[in-house]
Amino acid sequence: MIASVAFRNFKALRETSLILAPFNLVIGPNGSGKTSLIQAMVQLRALARLPLRELMPDDERHPEGAEITFRFQPPFDGLEASLSCVSESLCDFLQVTPLSTGGGVDDWVGLRARLLSLKSYRFNHEAIASTSALKDGGELAPDGVNLAAVLFTLRNTNPNIFECFKAELLRIQPEYDEITLIEQADHTIALGLRLAEGAEVVPSDNLAQGTLYLLAILALAFDPEPPAIVCIEEIDRGIHPRLLREIRDLLYRLSYPASTGDTRPSVQVVATTHSPYLLDLFRDHPEEVVITEKHGRTAHFTRLSDRADLAALLEDGSLGDLWFSGILGGVPDEQ
Amino acid sequence: MKLAVLSESPADEAAIVVLVEAVIGGHFKHVRPGLRARGWPSVAQVLPSIIRHLHFNTDADGLVVVVDSDDSVVHNAEHDAPGYFHPQCRMCRLRAVFRQTTKKFPASHGRSRIFHGVGIAVPAVEAWYLCGCDEQVSESAWVAGQGTGQLPYTRAELKFRVYGTDRPNLQLEIQRAVEEVRRQRHDLRRLENDFPSFAALARDIRGWNKNS
Repeated sequence: MIASVAFRNFKALRETSLILAPFNLVIGPNGSGKTSLIQAMVQLRALARLPLRELMPDDERHPEGAEITFRFQPPFDGLEASLSCVSESLCDFLQVTPLSTGGGVDDWVGLRARLLSLKSYRFNHEAIASTSALKDGGELAPDGVNLAAVLFTLRNTNPNIFECFKAELLRIQPEYDEITLIEQADHTIALGLRLAEGAEVVPSDNLAQGTLYLLAILALAFDPEPPAIVCIEEIDRGIHPRLLREIRDLLYRLSYPASTGDTRPSVQVVATTHSPYLLDLFRDHPEEVVITEKHGRTAHFTRLSDRADLAALLEDGSLGDLWFSGILGGVPDEQ
Repeated sequence: MKLAVLSESPADEAAIVVLVEAVIGGHFKHVRPGLRARGWPSVAQVLPSIIRHLHFNTDADGLVVVVDSDDSVVHNAEHDAPGYFHPQCRMCRLRAVFRQTTKKFPASHGRSRIFHGVGIAVPAVEAWYLCGCDEQVSESAWVAGQGTGQLPYTRAELKFRVYGTDRPNLQLEIQRAVEEVRRQRHDLRRLENDFPSFAALARDIRGWNKNS
């Protein structure tokens, strides 16, 4: 979907660019631009909702102002979208220009529709655990606050997909044998999981944090109408290291649907993590790992697969250990 | 018999259990929770602690360790000479870990030591799964390729041949792994012939009865 993004003077991203893959795992120290990358994509979506403005006259441009430029995969590779910013962090001007090559130059409407479906998530276990109003059972909210209603709707509208969702959950968490979704008198939905031993239903506010995060990620992976792009911060949050393989598989289900026999379109995924255990799982696909580096106040992106000596390094160390050691970069500056 | 299996993934473990049971000719009890390592360097790092734990804290009779060789030196008959140790051979290194770790162990839980079996899948466990289905895949073909600098296949290609995708999920990995080793379990001669590093594991296990 998004082929590349180039930054100039945007927060710590002073002059850097990144080619995006169908799946992107972004690692790096705090404040190195992981969240800024996602914010830029969210801002592109926000400005795409508005009518396009005419070309900005040169005398109105801030020569030192921030600028973020997006290019796209076919069939929209003939368009470039630039966000111009009034300050280091506030970008409020979207300009779309045709390129000399590529297709879709007349299809901003089509590209816009895809961009408007972009979703960004930073799940919160307390939000996920809350009851939610039945009417909110559409798209999953950024913090997962309406998960119960989303699952209730899924069960009613797509029972086959809901059964697949449930089967996957119960396989990963075999201590449970049923999902309960109960409409209450005030038209809110209460979510619970039934214990396989004893049949007691554990209400959502008593579920483990990791279980709540897993439920939210599963809901994304089994969304019958997934967005074109999904950004997820701290994807490993609350998840036991041995279950991270399941999380990676669920995200691959979105990015590479054919790998699970699914025929729906691919979803571009941008996920951030601080987990060396999750990083270990990308040994066979280093091209999917983006390292953010920060030196002083300036940050930039590199692809792990660009390391010419990576194969040799992996002979004696796991990716996670190599990252922690510092030799891959993407670690905090120290005095 | 109660055994522990140390492998790199749940799929590997599922396959190894079938193969070990085929070698011993019966079922075994598992040490719980199951052991897991995060790839090669992690196996070498955690193995001494695992051996110590199994010896002193459990009633396990043995430990089976199986790792991929990746691009490391493949074990051969020369390595089996008394006192020989090849630092780039994973079989030599794992056997050395067992020797050094258990050297001064006192008896515990009624046994002087736990048995061990070491298998190295060359270059990856998917090669074992293809044994008997793909004539091109064998340990000798891989070693010859290492010698000429022209490897007959990559680990990624092996995975694709087994799973039909380069991004299999865990369920698919387990399903295919178990299917392929169940196909072979009734007659392991082909697997032992084509993959001497599996034959070494089988010899280790068969030797347990003689040494018990």
